[in-house]
Amino acid sequence: MTKKEKRSFNQSLAEWKLFIYNPTTGEFLGRTAKSWGLTVFPKPVTALEYSFTVSDPESYKGYIEDLRKFLKPYESEEQKNLTACSDGALFEQKGPVYSACQFPLPLLQACSGVDDPDFGYSRGSPCVLVKMNRIIGLKPQGMPRIECTSKSENTATLSTYPFNGVIDLKYFPYYGKKLHVSYLQPLVAVQVSFNATSSTTNEVTVECKIDGSPNLKNQDDRDKFLGRVVFKVIARA
Amino acid sequence: ERKKTKTLEIYSVELNGTKDVEQTDKQDGKERYRGLKNCFHSKKDHHTEKLKKELDLDDHKLSIEELEKKYGTNIITGLSSTQAAELLAQNGPNALTPPKETPEIIKFLKQMVGGFSILLWIGAILCWIAYGIQYSMNKSSSLDDVYLGCVLALVVILTGIFAYYQEAKSTNIMSTFNKMIPQQAFVIRDSEKKTIPAEQLVVGDIVEIKGGDRVPADIRLLSAQGCKVDNSSLTGESEPQARSSEFTHDSLLETKNIAFYSTTCLEGTATGMVINTGDRTIIGQIASLASGVGNEKTPIAIEIEHFVHIVAGVAVSIGILFFIIAVSLKYQVLDAIIFLIGIIVANVPEGLLATVTVTLSLTAKRMAKKNCLVKNLEAVETLGSTSIICSDKTGTLTQNRMTVAHLWFDNQIFIADTSEDHSIFDQSSGTWASLSKIITLCNRAEFKPGQESVPIMKRIVVGDASETALLKFSEVILGDVMEIRKRNHKVAEIPFNSTNKFQLSIHKTDDPNDKRFLMVMKGAPERILEKCSTIMVNGQEQPLDKSTAEAFHTAYMELGGLGERVLGFCHLYLPADEFPETYTFDVDAMNFPTSNLCFVGLLSMIDPPRSTVPDAVTKCRSAGIKVIMVTGDHPITAKAIAKSVGIISANSETVEDIAKRLHIAVEQVNKRDAKAAVVTGAELKDMSPEQLDELLTNYSEIVFARTSPQQKLIIVEGCQRQNAVVAVTGDGVNDSPALKKADIGIAMGIAGSDAAKNAADMVLLDDNFASIVTGVEEGRLIFDNLKKTIAYTLTKNIAELCPFLIYIIVGLPLPIGTITILFIDLGTDIIPSIALAYEKAESDIMNRKPRHKKKDRLVNEQLAIYSYLHIGLIQAVGGFVVYFTVYAQEGFKPSILINLRVEWEDSNVNDLEDSYGQQWTWYQRKYLEWTGYTAFFVGIMVQQIADLIIRKTRRNSIFQQGLFRNKVIWVGIASQIIIALILSYGLGSITALNFTMLRPQYWFVAVPYAILIWVYDEVRKLFIRLYPGSWWEKNMYY
Repeated sequence: MTKKEKRSFNQSLAEWKLFIYNPTTGEFLGRTAKSWGLTVFPKPVTALEYSFTVSDPESYKGYIEDLRKFLKPYESEEQKNLTACSDGALFEQKGPVYSACQFPLPLLQACSGVDDPDFGYSRGSPCVLVKMNRIIGLKPQGMPRIECTSKSENTATLSTYPFNGVIDLKYFPYYGKKLHVSYLQPLVAVQVSFNATSSTTNEVTVECKIDGSPNLKNQDDRDKFLGRVVFKVIARA
Repeated sequence: ERKKTKTLEIYSVELNGTKDVEQTDKQDGKERYRGLKNCFHSKKDHHTEKLKKELDLDDHKLSIEELEKKYGTNIITGLSSTQAAELLAQNGPNALTPPKETPEIIKFLKQMVGGFSILLWIGAILCWIAYGIQYSMNKSSSLDDVYLGCVLALVVILTGIFAYYQEAKSTNIMSTFNKMIPQQAFVIRDSEKKTIPAEQLVVGDIVEIKGGDRVPADIRLLSAQGCKVDNSSLTGESEPQARSSEFTHDSLLETKNIAFYSTTCLEGTATGMVINTGDRTIIGQIASLASGVGNEKTPIAIEIEHFVHIVAGVAVSIGILFFIIAVSLKYQVLDAIIFLIGIIVANVPEGLLATVTVTLSLTAKRMAKKNCLVKNLEAVETLGSTSIICSDKTGTLTQNRMTVAHLWFDNQIFIADTSEDHSIFDQSSGTWASLSKIITLCNRAEFKPGQESVPIMKRIVVGDASETALLKFSEVILGDVMEIRKRNHKVAEIPFNSTNKFQLSIHKTDDPNDKRFLMVMKGAPERILEKCSTIMVNGQEQPLDKSTAEAFHTAYMELGGLGERVLGFCHLYLPADEFPETYTFDVDAMNFPTSNLCFVGLLSMIDPPRSTVPDAVTKCRSAGIKVIMVTGDHPITAKAIAKSVGIISANSETVEDIAKRLHIAVEQVNKRDAKAAVVTGAELKDMSPEQLDELLTNYSEIVFARTSPQQKLIIVEGCQRQNAVVAVTGDGVNDSPALKKADIGIAMGIAGSDAAKNAADMVLLDDNFASIVTGVEEGRLIFDNLKKTIAYTLTKNIAELCPFLIYIIVGLPLPIGTITILFIDLGTDIIPSIALAYEKAESDIMNRKPRHKKKDRLVNEQLAIYSYLHIGLIQAVGGFVVYFTVYAQEGFKPSILINLRVEWEDSNVNDLEDSYGQQWTWYQRKYLEWTGYTAFFVGIMVQQIADLIIRKTRRNSIFQQGLFRNKVIWVGIASQIIIALILSYGLGSITALNFTMLRPQYWFVAVPYAILIWVYDEVRKLFIRLYPGSWWEKNMYY
């Protein structure tokens, strides 16, 4: 056996070992890593496309109702029994009672629906909520945040709330439906403000990704929702 | 339609043949020819017209000059090479065209549409239709269905190619076998004698033949010296026929100056002109007639068809039922179509037919090793279901070698056993000295030169059977016969002929003091005795009185009654004064005395049975197979051989035997008392089909003697009317219709003609009856083992089908995918199902009756119910347990899965909540679904290991059978596990295959169910053994 062949054998052995257990991703036997799937709210009628006419409230009424409904558990009235956790650290609990952290609605600022009950739709700068799928026991590393970019930068400006799209670690880990009663998953809101307000129809494609956390994937060839979400906003005047 | 008429024609041929033959046994030989002629005249298509024309040939009537003119040849110089080449190009080679084979492409296409292929094609087409519908609705729809359709089509094509290849391979064995002996011919061309391949002979060629040669074409004899031919392959007549250049009969078939292609020249030499070659020869014409008899479907083909119908019936009815259910449950038609595909794929055992082919060809190989060469794979099993064997006598039951059996001299019968110590009889008597001299000298047979190292009994001899036997006998006892003949110079000779019925030669003796000539004579005993006035007793000549004549008759009758051919021997020392040393003997003028000779003794010969045959016949009998002897030989000989091999058992009597014992007339005997019957061809001719049926049912031991090969067909048909599966052995060309008509035709590899081999399904390489019995054993074993294979294969179909049904009704995420099912059917299950072919028999399969064609099915109700509804359901449950375990472990408890299907499959839902509040993207769910497929697959695989083990036996406990006796089973189990491991861990990253890397613990979830299957089946078998004949056995034994 030549030296080269031997090395290639060792190499493939190493690859095999990596396949059995990958310490960096925590993958075992090549299983997909646990990671958030990202979904958006309101639920668009057609696949991931928000289209509405600014001058016609009927056209976005559905979205607003949907957002209201979704944000209901986040109202301060609902949250008064929840814990006000300290920011910036994982909130690990031993049980037997698990408490959920407060997610004050004002964090979403312009998209909280407090100041603007129309979530910006009536002004042509709609809000879209990005939420992270709940996964039991997942502990994000680093400083996870949602980074949103528009495919065509000059048509629209994106603002993310809370500031910079930060997701606080105190909401993790999740302990499951039964134990972790009234758990609120953290949200990030994206507001799309079109630059050229005069034109009749504005259109932008937005991609939001998880960033700043080494153990959370945001690039999977097969799963288009793993750590990322792409949606389109069409606003007619 | 055409086939039918052909069969009818052949049938009518036989009827004509029988009606026509109304003469005594003695003329039987000629009658056979007449039957043959009818055979030609009754054919009605253009074929017959041609035949008639050929038969109207008058070449035998023409003079040599006319022949030369007709064929443009010269009997001295022969044809010129250029003439010959032209004729060869014009008429084609001098060889029989093998029967018209189905074109390869048709054979191939048959494989493509036979069996389950149609169902799979439907599945594939439905896949493409489904894609078409999807595509018309959404241009970017996934290509999954197109792939599945292609995979299904590929499965059909590959299994078709495989089956085609297997069949082609077994056909190939046969064709190589045919080409083993290239024949040479000795021909005069361009005034030169040359040896050329017989294939290159053309009409008009002048050929020479000599003793031992096969006649290379139909030949008009121009000159002949003591030429005798064996026409048995043409007429079934075993007596050698003399040939000469004289025109003796109007019929081409009966005249002596024609020698037929493929017959054998036994002795003498002859020169002749080729008048017909290849297919235009008489043999060629008969061979092409035989190919008209339709081949019956083999029993196993019928069984497999039956089985395919059952499975296809189940598949189609469940498919349609659930299509309707799906539509009424408001599923879209597209979905319903996809369900239908899944149901079809789950129901069809895609790999099974290929497995059956492999199993059969494995057995065929095993049988070939035991000297049974199987031409048609399916015939492997036919032999196993055989209930009647119609066997030839000569060569099959006997050694086809005349052997001296007894001697009678000095008023005593001696046993001559040349195979053992030959000093059994008293060789000191002076009578023996004289007798041995006659035996040695009055014999024209000679050893072919150059065989000094070969044992005497195996040397090749030029001469007929009796003379050969005598030559070998004297060579064994006396030593160098040729040397003795040299010392006793032959001065005159009259060869044996049927009018004289004796053979005579005159010799100078090797005694220098005795100047007398010795005349020796042998022949039919009564003829010899007539010529004698004295008899030698203890070396002394005594007058032949009444008492000695009586003693002779008693001995003659006794030996004849043993079925032996008896010859008488006498001699005379010619007085020296009348016949001085210079005397010239003239055999035509007969200038010497042929009466008042001295009778010396009798000698009897028999073609002894093969030593393995009695045992084989006993085995057949205990296996419930009736052995019927059909021979052209004399009833007495036939009966004697039948008795000695056990075809007529020791304590059975025929009607004639009873009559003789009770001293009453044959008519007075109660026919029911007789178990055995010896029926001659003449008696058979007068029988109506009803009488023949009665004969066949009433007698368990039957011998047909003096039958013509055509009558064989009548006997075969009679047997088939009793619903029997009939095996027929044969070697002659005229046997070919019977061989074809039989359920399994067995041709003799050594003695058989090519036509017989072509018509047969199987060739016995050693011509030995005992080989048939080993074949029967293999055939029965393969039937049992095929049952096991099918039971094994069908079981998992339920486990594959239930997921689809539950998916449709309960709306669970799909437990197993279509592709995954194919990996079971064509992957993990293949080697195990072949491994069952290596299973040993559970009990002595040769101790039970042959299976009933219509009652003992390959796949019966019990097998289907036990496989589908007992083991199959346990497997399905086991599979679902694995499935639910995996889903629950990952977050989806069974309760939440119900009716989750629509949301689960919606790719727009990317936050589907599980039982724990976790949310799943579409792809994460898809991956879990594939993990479910893999888990279900592994679950089935694990339980199929148990299924494989339990299928080793149907009645006995596995521990009685032995877990490790069949090593191939373990190879099968290893293959299952290895294939599953590769699919999960090796190919788990290829998305298209829908396999995932399964957590190790999931491999063991189904193990308890595997154990349950084993225990369940052991209990089943235990009750079957404990309560034979009970309700349990009737319903649980398959």
